[in-house]
Amino acid sequence: MKRKLRKWRFPAFRYTVLITWALIASFPIFWIFSTSFKPDHEWFAWPPVYWSQNATMNNYNMVWGNPTTEKELTQSYTSGKAVKLESVPLNKAWVALGNSLLTSLIATFFSVSFGTLLAYGVSRYQILSEVRMFQLLVLRMIPPIVIAAPITLYYSWIHLMDSVTGLVIVYFITTLPYSVWMTKSFIDEVPREMEQAAEILGAGRWQTIWEVILPLVRSGIVATFLFILILTWSEYLLSFLLSKVDVVTLPVQLSKYEGSTEGRVYGHQAALAVGITLPLMIIGIFIRKHLVRGFSFGMVKR
Amino acid sequence: MATDAAVEAGNTKMSRTKGIRIFKWSLLSPLIILALFLLPIFALQLYFSFHSWTIYLSTWWDAEYVGFEMFQEVFTDKRFFWAMGRSFLFAGVSTVGCFIFGLALALLMYRPFMGQAFFYIIFLLPMLTVPIVLTYAADMLLYRQGPINGILSFITGMDMRFTWLANPNYAIFTIIMIEIWNWTPFTFIIMLAGLSSLPHEPVEAARILGANRLQIFLEIQIPLLRPVIFLALILRFLEAMAEFPKTWGLLQGGPGSATETIPIYLYITTWQAFDVSKGAAMSYIIMLIMIVIIFAAIRILRHEKSSLDALYEAPAAGERE
Repeated sequence: MKRKLRKWRFPAFRYTVLITWALIASFPIFWIFSTSFKPDHEWFAWPPVYWSQNATMNNYNMVWGNPTTEKELTQSYTSGKAVKLESVPLNKAWVALGNSLLTSLIATFFSVSFGTLLAYGVSRYQILSEVRMFQLLVLRMIPPIVIAAPITLYYSWIHLMDSVTGLVIVYFITTLPYSVWMTKSFIDEVPREMEQAAEILGAGRWQTIWEVILPLVRSGIVATFLFILILTWSEYLLSFLLSKVDVVTLPVQLSKYEGSTEGRVYGHQAALAVGITLPLMIIGIFIRKHLVRGFSFGMVKR
Repeated sequence: MATDAAVEAGNTKMSRTKGIRIFKWSLLSPLIILALFLLPIFALQLYFSFHSWTIYLSTWWDAEYVGFEMFQEVFTDKRFFWAMGRSFLFAGVSTVGCFIFGLALALLMYRPFMGQAFFYIIFLLPMLTVPIVLTYAADMLLYRQGPINGILSFITGMDMRFTWLANPNYAIFTIIMIEIWNWTPFTFIIMLAGLSSLPHEPVEAARILGANRLQIFLEIQIPLLRPVIFLALILRFLEAMAEFPKTWGLLQGGPGSATETIPIYLYITTWQAFDVSKGAAMSYIIMLIMIVIIFAAIRILRHEKSSLDALYEAPAAGERE
């Protein structure tokens, strides 16, 4: 009897702790989802409404609504009923989505493709010593706010303020260390014999990279791409400071709701927040096995 | 004949090293061009920290040269040192918190059991919540009539209306709590990967020699995990020092200046008081401090990595013999 109890004690403890933490970890995310379906009188209700009985898609229509809903809303606005909506301009979400996709995809593409080449050079020809590789991390570790002020002045001087190019450049720089380190960890695993064989068969260096290395590390590069995409997609501070009007990205767009004059519009915020964070969660779960490589710098052996 | 072959071999070797050099510079030159492109940023920062300029002056090049006055102003600014202290408090406590939770979860999960993959995915989610989304989620959750107080009321049976954010005494701990929630997955996945990659033999040997679980943990697993532990702590600390969206989005450094960390104070100085010169001087000081910390961190990481590499290479060499 006692032995049986002891056998059950550890799993019971384990599941209790894990389930508790799972609840803690998922509750805020659940709350965003649930709020995004609530009608406006339930946003601030006490006791709180956990799952709305009269769930509505209204918030999504407000934030992500297509031009036709915009028309209807303007009509109801002129009749004087929907004044509340005015401070949250419609369809800005789609513009912001476009900007976010554009900046993060371009920056990620450059960061990963350049990072891969550099990682190949480091892995095979030691073009950067290990000290240099670690020093590369400074680019990521310096708090961006420290150089944000001179960047804004410099950018407004050379007309890069509020532009996709300007954001892409800073994103490229801040993510480069991670893409180099991560792709290097994949390239290191490719046996050198493959390249030697290719060389004997008369392939040039670039041809070897393109036709031997890349196909072998393709899944690793995809994982790196998605990892860097997570970083650039969720970046807030730099896009907040470097793009005020034209190239507003999704995180900045979300923070604009807070400034609205009539108080907080939780439902709309939640609907936009779901749109920002859902793709990221899907990507993250998709590459969950590789996530740890992004920041392990070859310190986790497998 | 033999000399010919030697010369030829020498030639191919020459062309090979030359080829590598061309390859190297074709990769490094874009980086150097980029660095040159960005050099003016640091020049501007240097200029502003030695010249008194605010946004109210028309053009920035007729600012007055003031020498070290700006630095002096920063060093006599009590608010700056308070912000510094808060930053270290925030980064330190949240790092330790993330580490404890992450390690505890990893210890419970590193051996296979039913539902492991499920829990792994759930535990990953907080990290994949965009910080700014979390900011507004926290705003909804910690609202005085929000769900956190609702749940606490439900559990305790009392009407709990805790002010999480507006109270200057513990606003910073609320932010720390949110930071820990956000980044525990980060330490968790690192520690989990570290624990599952540990060699089994030392643990088995210790168990046979009669060590209990605590002894195994403290005397075998922790020392073997040291590189990974340093990695998690260092990365988390550095990221927490730069934390901006949550602190700013939730409280803008308030109530009063209770959550005014270094990034927030820098932002307020430069973008709200428009004291660009003081901001530049301040960011120079912070940059220097951060660079010292980062280089110390790099030193530790390199040391740990080389000892780890040595540890893993030694038995492989033995096997080959």
